[in-house]
Amino acid sequence: MAENTRETFEPNIVAFLCNWCSYAGADLAGTSRIHYPSNVKVVRVMCTGRVNPLFVMNALQQGADGVLVSGCHPGDCHYMQGNYYARRRFTLMRRFLEYLGVEPARVRMSWVSASEGSKWKEVVEEVVEGVKAVGPMDQFKRRQLNW
Amino acid sequence: MADKILKKDKAAEALKELSKFRLFAPAKSDDVVLFRQIEDPAEACLDYANSTVPPKKVVFPQTETLFRFKLGNPELREKNVEEEGTTVIFGLRPCDARAMSIVDNLFSWDYEDPYYLKRRELTTLVGMACVTPPSVNCFCASVGGEPFGTENLDLLLVDMGEEYLVKVLTDKGGKLAETIGSFMENAPEGAAAKAEELAGAAREALSRSIDTSGIEAKLPALWDSPLWKEVSAACLGCGICTYLCPTCHCFDIQDEVEDAEGRRCRMWDSCMFREYTLHASGHNPRPTRKERTRNRISHKYSYFPGKFGVIACVGCGRCVNLCPVNIDILEILGKVVEA
Amino acid sequence: MVDQAKLREVAREVISREDVRLLIGYRPGTYGFRARPAFVESAEQVEELVFTPACVSNLASYLVLEEKPPLPRGAEPDNRKVAVMVKGCDSRALVQQMVEKAYERDHLVVLGIPCSGVVDMARVEARFPGVLSAGSIIREGDDFVLSFDGKTEKVPAAELLADKCKRCRYPTPLVSDIMLDDEVERFAEDDFSDIAELEGKSVEEKWAYWAEKFSRCIRCYSCRNVCPMCYCEDCILDRLKPVWMRRSVDISENTAFHISRAYHLAGRCIQCGECARVCPVDIPLMELNRKFYKDVEELYDYEPGLSTEATPLLSTFSVEDREDFIL
Repeated sequence: MAENTRETFEPNIVAFLCNWCSYAGADLAGTSRIHYPSNVKVVRVMCTGRVNPLFVMNALQQGADGVLVSGCHPGDCHYMQGNYYARRRFTLMRRFLEYLGVEPARVRMSWVSASEGSKWKEVVEEVVEGVKAVGPMDQFKRRQLNW
Repeated sequence: MADKILKKDKAAEALKELSKFRLFAPAKSDDVVLFRQIEDPAEACLDYANSTVPPKKVVFPQTETLFRFKLGNPELREKNVEEEGTTVIFGLRPCDARAMSIVDNLFSWDYEDPYYLKRRELTTLVGMACVTPPSVNCFCASVGGEPFGTENLDLLLVDMGEEYLVKVLTDKGGKLAETIGSFMENAPEGAAAKAEELAGAAREALSRSIDTSGIEAKLPALWDSPLWKEVSAACLGCGICTYLCPTCHCFDIQDEVEDAEGRRCRMWDSCMFREYTLHASGHNPRPTRKERTRNRISHKYSYFPGKFGVIACVGCGRCVNLCPVNIDILEILGKVVEA
Repeated sequence: MVDQAKLREVAREVISREDVRLLIGYRPGTYGFRARPAFVESAEQVEELVFTPACVSNLASYLVLEEKPPLPRGAEPDNRKVAVMVKGCDSRALVQQMVEKAYERDHLVVLGIPCSGVVDMARVEARFPGVLSAGSIIREGDDFVLSFDGKTEKVPAAELLADKCKRCRYPTPLVSDIMLDDEVERFAEDDFSDIAELEGKSVEEKWAYWAEKFSRCIRCYSCRNVCPMCYCEDCILDRLKPVWMRRSVDISENTAFHISRAYHLAGRCIQCGECARVCPVDIPLMELNRKFYKDVEELYDYEPGLSTEATPLLSTFSVEDREDFIL
C-alpha cells in the first residue's frame, strides 16, 4: 500500500446525511453530474437529530479521518426541530474533541438543502481539504493494539 | 549464593543492565505509582510505598490475546507468550509476590493455563522488603505473609539506608544476580543480622491484624446473615477492590473483530459488577451488591481456602485504602468473627 | 460547623417518622480521618452520625443507586420517603435528578448542610501519613484542626481543602426541608482558568496530555458508579448490542469510554468532584466535566442543578444557538 504522505493522503470521511435535505442534495449533485471528491462515505439517517454524538467518536475510532453531519437548514427540518437539537449536541462534541486533542477539522457540520447540489460539492471539498491538511486520524483510532 | 550488597548509587546502572530484559519497575505518573515497562532507569521510583495497580498485570495482563483468526482461514494463530522473552519485575512487595503463588493454584488446577504459566516461568521476581509498612492498612502477617517475606521471590532486596542487601533465593534469582554481579559486592558480616533486626521491626510496625482461624468454616453458615446488608450498604459496585487486588483473577473472554481479522482475548472481570453473573434470560443470581460483597469475602476467605488450602488475600490493604466509601475488609471479617 | 448534637436530634426525629424508611448520612470511617456513608433505619443508629469536613461523599448517589430486585410474590414495595444529608454541591445533584424526573420531590426529606468546604483526603493522608486510630477534623475559622493520636495540629484550610471547594459557587444547599445550620455565604468563584489553560495548548500537546492520563485507566468504572448523575439502568458501557466500546483496555477504548462518560454528563454534571476523588489512578476527570460545564455556560448560559423547573440542556434548544462552525 502506498504510504500516506501529505500529498497522497486520501482521507476517509463518514458523512451522516438526513434523508430529507442533505441526502437529497447530495443526490441532486450526482444527478446534475457535479464532480466532488469521492472521499465521503454516506450514511443516510432520517434526521440529524437521530445522529448520536457518539457516532462521531465511533467513526473516528473505527478508521474515519473525519466526520460530517449534514442536515436541513434551521427552520426547514422535516421533523420541525431535529436539526436544532443536533446543533447543540455537535457544538459541544466538537469543542470537547478539540479539547482532547482531535483537530476540529475532523468534526464538521453543514446545512445542505435538497436543492443545494452545488453547495454539497463545496462542503465536501472544504471538509476533504481540511482533513487532508491535518493528516490521518491517529489519536484514538482502533488499531490492532497488542494483538 | 551468598548475600550481596547493591549500593544505591549503583542501582541505576544495575537497572540499566536489567533493561535488556523486559523490565517492569514501579514508576510514578503524577502521584500514582504503577508498574511500567522501564527502558530508562530514571523512570523507576524505588522509594515507594506500594503500587496502586498490583504487578499481577505483568503475568496476567488486563487484556491479552489468546489467538487470532482470519476470515476464510481455518487456521488459528495462537499467541506465543515465549516471544515476550525474559521478564523481570523489579521491586515488587513480598505480598504481591506471594499473591502470584496463590493465583498459580487457580491457573494450574483442572486445566493448566499455558499463557499464564508460561509467563510465570519467564518472569523473575525481584522483591523489595517492606522496611516500613507501605500503609496503615497492611495486615500481611495475619494471612500468612511477612513484610520481609521471601515466598515466591527469586531475589529480595532490603533497603538498609545507603545500600540494598540482596538475598538470592532461587537459581533463577542467582542467574539474574550474576548479570548484575559487577555492580554488587559481597555482603559484609552482620548485614544479615541487621536485616533480621529490620524485619522484626517491620513486623512490629504492622498496625492492623485479624485472627483468621475459623473464618473459613464460619462464612458459609453466615449466608443469610443480616451483616451482609449492613456492610454492603455503601458499596457503589465499582471494580476497585477486585481490579486492584493482587489475588483477584476473574476474567471474561471476548472476540474482537477488525475487518476480516479477529482475535479472542481475555480481560479482567470483576464479581462486583452486575453483569458478572447476569444470565442471558435476565435473571441475576446475585441481584444486588449485598450478594456480590458476600461473594467477594466468601471467595477469598472460604471457597478458595476450601479448594486450595490458602486464603486468597495477602493483606496488602489496597481494597481498604482505595475503596471510595471506606468498605473495610478487616471490619467485615471482624463482624464475621463476632457473628 | 454543624452542631453534631443538633444533627443527631434532627436525624432522630426524621427517622422516627412513620413515612421515612431510611436516612442516609455520615459516620466515622474505620481508620484515620476517614468518614463514610451511614444508612440509618432506626432511631438507635443515629448516635453514630456526624458531619465534619471529612464527609466527602456525595450521598445523592445512593438515591439512584439502589437496586430493586423483583419482590417476592405478594410483597408490597416500600415506598416510604428517604432522608438524605446534603452539602451545597450534593444538593445540586438532587435538583438535577429531579429535573430528570428520577423521582418526585416528596420522595425525599432533605437535610441541608451549609458547608464551608471538605478536605481532600489524599492531601490529609499525605501530610499526616500512617494515622490508624480515629482522628478528627474540624473547621476553625481559616484553619482545619486535626486531632489524632493525642496530638492536635492546625493547618490553614487552603492547604487541605478539596479543589472543588476552592471554586464552590453554591455552599448552601439549594433544596432542603430542614437546614441544619446557618447559611454560608458564597466564599469562592469559579473562573475556569484551569480549563482555559489547557484549551490554549496545541492539539498535539492536548492529546499527549490526555493519552497519558487515559492510558492509565483500568476501567474499574468507579467514576461512573460514584456519580450521582450516572444512573441509567442499562449503561451503554455494559451493553452488548451494539458494543459501543470494547472491554479491552487500550488507549482507543479507554478514550472512547472517557468521551462517552463525559459527554453523557454534558449539561448535567453538578461539579461535586466525586469522579476525580475516587479514581484510583488519579485521572483528572473533572477537567473533562468542567470543559463541558464551561462551554455550556458560555454558549447556552445554562448551569445544571440550580432549579427543579429547568429543562435538561440537550432536551431543548434555542433558535438563536450559535452555529459559527457550521458550513
